[in-house]
Amino acid sequence: MNQRIIYPTDDGGVAIIIPAESIETAMKDIPEGKPYKIVDVDDIPSDRTFRDAWEYTA
Amino acid sequence: MANTITAGNATNGGTAISSDTSGTLELKTGSSSTTALTLDTSGNLQMNSGYGSVATAYGCRAWVNFNGTGTVAIRASGNVSSITDNGTGDYTVNFTTAMPDINYSASLSFSRDPDCPSGNIATNNATGGNVAPTTTALRVGMYLFGVGGKDVTYINIAVFR
Repeated sequence: MNQRIIYPTDDGGVAIIIPAESIETAMKDIPEGKPYKIVDVDDIPSDRTFRDAWEYTA
Repeated sequence: MANTITAGNATNGGTAISSDTSGTLELKTGSSSTTALTLDTSGNLQMNSGYGSVATAYGCRAWVNFNGTGTVAIRASGNVSSITDNGTGDYTVNFTTAMPDINYSASLSFSRDPDCPSGNIATNNATGGNVAPTTTALRVGMYLFGVGGKDVTYINIAVFR
């Protein structure tokens, strides 16, 4: 699975949904009313040193 | 009405599938016609799979093995639609088919990695507070006391109900 779903968290960070099988089945896991984007896995940094400082940009 | 389907010779070790008047389905094996498995009218599956007696089997309703470091990724899973990476050492397991209620039991295990974090179910790492399980998701957190959230390489979660 080479895609991810990202959405902003209530505390100003960003949550990343990692689908088990497909983006379609994972869409239900986006909290209701949240804006979201589907991105390529390569767009997510693999260096998580400052993971909690990541932000969602529309 | 009771029915029996017999395969082989019951005196030398055959197999019999029967349903009695209560509606329970029963599978017997061997020359002594030992009950190996039953399915009662409530849908409860009971079996003797080396346990020594026939008893209700409580199956794993969901499970996942994932890497919480680097590019977070699911290695394998069952009845899990996705995991959510909420932050450092902070993940949510999302179920494909919802649990019947929130009173399920979750088993969590993880690698040492190498700082020996603690792991918690139903926890928000950022606040340290509980996050009540829901029928559709369970939040888990890996934490180093005095430091904060900790990403872990091998995280395994199994849910029973």
